[in-house]
Parts: sequence; structure tokens; C-alpha cells
Amino acid sequence: MRASNGRGAVIHRGSRLLAAGLLCWASAAPVLAQDAAGLLGRAAEAARTLDYVGTIVFQSGAAVETARIIHVNDNGEEFEKLVALDGPAREVIRQKGEVRCYYPDAKLVRIEPRTFRNAFPSLSPQQQEALARYYVLRKGAAGRVAGRDAQGWSFEPRDAYRYAQEFWTDTTSGMLLKARTLDERGEIVEQIAFLDLALGVKVDPALTRPTWASTPSDWMEKRGRTGTATPGDTGWSVTRLPPGFAKIMEGTRGTGRAPPVVQLVYSDGLVAVSVFIEPRGQARRGVGRARQGGINQFSVKLDEHVVTALGEAPAETVRQIALSVSRR
Amino acid sequence: MNEDVSRLMDGELDDDAAVDRALAALRRDQGADAWACYHVIGDAMRGNAPMSPGFSRRLSAALAAEPTVLAPVRRVAHPATFAWAAAATVAAVAVVGWTAVSLTDAPDVAIAKAREANAVRAAEVRTPAIPPDYLLAHQEYSPATAIQGVRPYARAVSFGVPAER
Repeated sequence: MRASNGRGAVIHRGSRLLAAGLLCWASAAPVLAQDAAGLLGRAAEAARTLDYVGTIVFQSGAAVETARIIHVNDNGEEFEKLVALDGPAREVIRQKGEVRCYYPDAKLVRIEPRTFRNAFPSLSPQQQEALARYYVLRKGAAGRVAGRDAQGWSFEPRDAYRYAQEFWTDTTSGMLLKARTLDERGEIVEQIAFLDLALGVKVDPALTRPTWASTPSDWMEKRGRTGTATPGDTGWSVTRLPPGFAKIMEGTRGTGRAPPVVQLVYSDGLVAVSVFIEPRGQARRGVGRARQGGINQFSVKLDEHVVTALGEAPAETVRQIALSVSRR
Repeated sequence: MNEDVSRLMDGELDDDAAVDRALAALRRDQGADAWACYHVIGDAMRGNAPMSPGFSRRLSAALAAEPTVLAPVRRVAHPATFAWAAAATVAAVAVVGWTAVSLTDAPDVAIAKAREANAVRAAEVRTPAIPPDYLLAHQEYSPATAIQGVRPYARAVSFGVPAER
């Protein structure tokens, strides 16, 4: 089943169509690889180190949501609060090594321990080369986003294993103000943008505290089953990795209550695909594909395990990765 | 018998004798079961959700209210002959979705299996939300997270299901 399903037959389609969809960028000359890494690094640095308050609109497929975001960097420590402005009330608090998601309608708090490798990894020369080899970066038009001067950029994939990305960065800080992911037909599958943004202001860290100082007594606290990651050799590998993807993490994660889940992460410098391998009895997930905007997932049974690949890549990319997972 | 019914369903019977044979087969006791079975299998393979109870009755009522079409246009192109494929080979099983459907099964068993497969397939078609725990675990390492700051978390919270099953 695995082997016969694994051929990436449709992977060569689409680049031409995609190029047509990106015509507005076509006149711009490609930008050097170091500039690509610099651009991404600068955006990551700004998102991490600056204080800001803003409203974001997030479009994923046909769904559109808005949220308020407050970010504070207090002497190197990050505090962040995200509040959904439409739909059911939702709140995400990110601080002190964990992410808390509040669901007042369900009287639930999900707590995920996170180590926040939020610093954009400074790309190795090899990764920079991969970025340049599998994407063409073009400088687009200057424009405005959220009332701020912005510079447009496009990462056009050179093959169908990755999506095209369009970015608008803040001219003064380099922060990402708007991002779009386009599929193989040049259609927007996901879009996120600031509608308004107060940047470079001093923000009171108290504003990032959750609405609920402590979890109400009739709420449930739920800790994620995936826990924290412990890097190390897992004995698993991906045999038919799409070109340009290199392993950036291998390890196990768990809460100690259940058998650990293996996680492997592969990146092409711009996006990543994670592979999760867990015992079948433990996995209460269906097999097959799932999609949320620009994120695709593919799950498949492999002997006594369920293998799930997911990432900011086309369905065929995550499928090929999921279907070629094997024991070393 | 099954072959005629299957071909009838796919609109592949051209001569009247064959149509009469198929209709006669449908009138016999197993015929209606086979008809229903092939449709469920066909739906499963096309990824259509199962029909709600009473659908046929409502459809009949709606059709009765429609003006009569005197010369129905024969379908020329078939995207695929699903029922025929199902009748011809159990290889269809792989397409239906990892659930064994065998035509040696009694029709009700086959229907149950096809329905089960349909549930898997329908879930796929509806593209369920990605589990937030995996999403967050992934985002911890993805460069896309670093570039966008916390915003990828918006995905996990606003589009995620509140509780895991």
C-alpha cells in the first residue's frame, strides 16, 4: 500500500500556472540568496523583539477571522496575548514557556508547554543555498499595509513541492505586515495581515495577562498529549524526501503518561513539514488527508503505528513524506 | 445479474433486452439490495456523503412536481463507471478506503462496509481540522512560525476544535 501509493506523479504540474498567477512580480529581478535569509531573519527578529498592539485578519480557505494581538518583549522575555474578535470567544496567552488557549464556551483551557524556538534559526550556508535553489525571491512593489509603508516580496517555488509565498514587510522595522500563501493554481489558500498596528510603542506587560487570572473552578484544564520535545535518535527516517528539505529536528515528545510520540521536522528554509509517529492504539486520529488553509496533513497506518505528516506545503508533498516513512 | 444492474446504474445498457433483463433482476429479491449496494459504493468512491433518511422519498416528490421530460438526454461521458468497477473487482476496495468490500458479502454487510468506508472518505472530503496539539508541536519548529511571530497560533485557536475527541 505504502510503496504503490507513494509516486508523486502530479508533482511536476503547476509551476507554469503559478508563474502566470504571479505575473505582477515577473518584471522584478531575482534577489540574492543572502537577501532572502536576511529578509526572513529580520522579520523574525522584529516579531520577537518589538512591542506592538494590532488587529490581524486571518483568512484560511473560505473562513475569515479577526483577532487582537498584543506583544511585549520585557527584557528579553516575551509576553503575548491573542484575542479572537469574531466567532466564539477565544484567547491565547503565550508566556513563561507555555501557550494557554482559553475556550470559555467549552469551559476549557488547553495548556501546551513550548520552548519557543521563535528566534529564526540563522540559516546555514547549505540552507541558504536550498532557499535560492528552490525559490526565486523577487522584490515587489512598494505599497501600504495597515497604514504603514510596506515592501512587497515574493518567493516563487521552482517546483511543485512547495507553495508560493508573498510577503509585505514594514519598511522601517522589517516586520511582516502581510503574508499570502498561493497554491499551485496561483489561488490564495491562506492570508494574514495587520489591519492596524501600533509598532515601537511601549506596551504595558499587564495587557498581556489572561482575562481569567486563574482557571475558574468549573473549567477543565487540559494538557496536550504531545508535551515537550526531547531531541535524539528515533530510528525513523523519511526515504523519499522532496528535494530541498533537510532535517532540522529529530526527537520524541510526550507527557510521561503515554508512550512518547516521535517527531521529525524537515525544512526547506522557508517552511517545514513535521512527521509524527505514534502507536496505533494511542492514536485516535483518522487516516487520510486534512487541510487548513496553507497547512496540509496526511495520515497513514504503518504496521502498529500511525504516521502523520503536516506542514506549510502542498498536499502531495506531505503525502509523499508520510508514505515514505520507515524504520532505519 | 449483478453485471446488468451495475451497467444499468452506469447508464451503459443500450439495447432494450439488456435493460429489461436488468429491470427484471431488480424485481427479484436480491436485485434491489444490489442496486442500493452499488449506489452506496459508488457514493463512497466519489466521496459523496451518505444520503439523509427520506431523501429518496423527497426526491420522488420533487420529481413528481417537475414537468415531464419527454426526451431525456443520454449521458455521454462517464467520469468513471463506479458501480461496474465495484462489481468487477475487489480492487475497488483500495479506493474506497482501506475497508474491505467484497461482493461475496451479503448485500447488507457490503452496504455496512461501504457506509463505513464512506464515513472515512467523507471525513477526508470535508477536510477536518488539523489537531491543535500536532499543529502547535509543528509550529514550535517551523521557520514560518518565527517569520510570522505568534500569528500561526491563530490557526490553532480560532479554527481548532476546543477539545480533543
